[in-house]
Amino acid sequence: MSTTASDDFGQDVFVDGADWEVVEDAVGESTITVNMGPQHPSTHGVLRLVLELEGEIVRNVKPVIGYLHTGIEKNAEYRTWVQGTTFVTRMDYLSPFYNETAFCLAVEKLLDIEVPERAQTIRVILMEFNRIASHLVWLATGGMELGAIGMMIYGFREREHILDLFESQTGLRMNHAWIRPGGLANDVTDDFVQRCEHLLGLLPEKMREYEDLLLDNPIWRERLTDVGVLSAGDAVRMGVTGPLLRAAGVPADLRKAQPYCGYERYEFDVPTQDSGDSFARFLVRLEEMRQSMRIIRQALDILPGGPVMVADKHIAWPAQQSLGPDGIGNDPAYIRHIMGESMEALINHFKLVTQGFTVPAGQVYVPVESPRGELGYAVTSNGTNKPYRIHVRDPSFVNLQATNLMSKDRMVSDLIAIVASLDPVMGGVDR
Amino acid sequence: MTAQHPPRGSDAVTVGSDPLSHEQIEQRVQARFPAVAADIAFAELTLFVAAEELLDLLRFCRDDEELSCESLADVGGVHFPAGEHVIERQASTTGWPAHRVSRDIGVVEVNYILRSLRRNHWFRVACATSDDGGTLPSVTGMWPGANFPEREIFDMFGVAFEGHPDLTRILMPDDWLGHPLRKDYPLGGVDTNYKHGKFIPPPHQRDLREVIGDTPAATRHLPLLPGDADSETGGDQ
Repeated sequence: MSTTASDDFGQDVFVDGADWEVVEDAVGESTITVNMGPQHPSTHGVLRLVLELEGEIVRNVKPVIGYLHTGIEKNAEYRTWVQGTTFVTRMDYLSPFYNETAFCLAVEKLLDIEVPERAQTIRVILMEFNRIASHLVWLATGGMELGAIGMMIYGFREREHILDLFESQTGLRMNHAWIRPGGLANDVTDDFVQRCEHLLGLLPEKMREYEDLLLDNPIWRERLTDVGVLSAGDAVRMGVTGPLLRAAGVPADLRKAQPYCGYERYEFDVPTQDSGDSFARFLVRLEEMRQSMRIIRQALDILPGGPVMVADKHIAWPAQQSLGPDGIGNDPAYIRHIMGESMEALINHFKLVTQGFTVPAGQVYVPVESPRGELGYAVTSNGTNKPYRIHVRDPSFVNLQATNLMSKDRMVSDLIAIVASLDPVMGGVDR
Repeated sequence: MTAQHPPRGSDAVTVGSDPLSHEQIEQRVQARFPAVAADIAFAELTLFVAAEELLDLLRFCRDDEELSCESLADVGGVHFPAGEHVIERQASTTGWPAHRVSRDIGVVEVNYILRSLRRNHWFRVACATSDDGGTLPSVTGMWPGANFPEREIFDMFGVAFEGHPDLTRILMPDDWLGHPLRKDYPLGGVDTNYKHGKFIPPPHQRDLREVIGDTPAATRHLPLLPGDADSETGGDQ
């Protein structure tokens, strides 16, 4: 233990444990500044919070971010449009299908092409399953942070079933890069509907289990009720969207307001709560999972046949795949076509894969309703085969600003619940 | 601790669907700000405004009963450097000719996406500033949620926002030099503290044997990265 005087910041106190009284004497009436993170397990990844504490009461919180910055926006400027999908799916890693869809919708808007109905419906099914998976992780990690370790295990357990579905269709549990400009990388397997039905049969029962665990759990209620209250007006001024805004009583949902991928065809409710606290967010997210299942049910019923990629061979990714004795691979008939029959087909294949297609110059902004709120892609093209600029409006990045507003004059333990209720994903925040 | 419900009433936010058309928004704004140019492309409305009028325009869009844009959905930047640029368009496949774009002054264009929840419409306000020490007024006074996005634009493009409460770097380290998302920012050649004091030169000066050391892999021919000086099409390997 040592103390030094510093001109600007009062006294610096270095502690090495078991000397709280000395710190108390040194601090006196003034506040104490504590770094929480960037490796604290309760901060959802590498989030650093600089806390100004008065005893255990938080007077000020400053989120410090950038520890997971990977320069994806810059990187994508030097890759073709199709390669862009591979990058953006790695931003918000808990909702990869939303990143892919928003990016592809932006590219498709610039290209002025209409994606086949089947591809749109499959996108909706996968996005809604992704919303459930993302909310399950939120429930699991949030539960763990508040001491409900059982919830952590159950949440991740059910999420793994959903990731199994993703893996069976895309080959990967996360970071699929499966939704491509113009449609999908390949069609779903024959047992896709069956797999979805199986999940839809499994999940409602499991959700009742979570409700039995948490809904009337006095500890869970105590820790969340009236904690992190954000009013509707404050939420809008702070740019907060998604479940946080809906928990404050504002039924704002881009799926209703500006439908994309055919969301106008599905019947679903936008759940809201009035209290705007962390418990309201919990209820809103639970109900959103139910509504997602409702949408998936309807989408499975109307799932049309037909192609999953636009017919224009200047844009369509040449990936005809089939199941062979050694797994999924290139379709032998297609390989025969480009290697043995048509020189032009080979040239087109080669040019598309190496150079990609060109996209007309211009700028578009395409927002989608991700599990965390408005995920917007502002894509600028200068008419070449690579994006000129991709700007991503990530909901976690914007929502994180409200941390201070919500946790001012609360206890440190409440701060944990508040950050958990925000559900920030640092991959999306730092990009 | 006791419950702290913030006051309600005037704070209420309504969500509805009564959108104005792009033309109506354009007329409404131009009646008040004749100097504002409008452009409708890809079914999106963009209003181009000078930096002097930016705050007034945004405040008008927020407070006007008709436009009613209570929410600032997004703030993002794009850099258009000065000089002559050849836009390669692969005339052989698309039929679009390559062309040259020439700009006298380099600009960073900052795009504000304004959204009305009550009316359910949105549009873009674009404001350009010089890429050489340009400044814009901060909108954090109107929307505190613009804080992080403005810091990001400062960090990535070097645009200073006057009146911002805490204009510091947000994604890059505090002592970083340069603004990485600018088009004139070098790829590689940045002084970074790599292991064993290694220095990675820019791609066109890169001798891969030097970079990866004297290993068997170094003798293989490694493809150029897309974006390298002599690989403009990004994939001819």
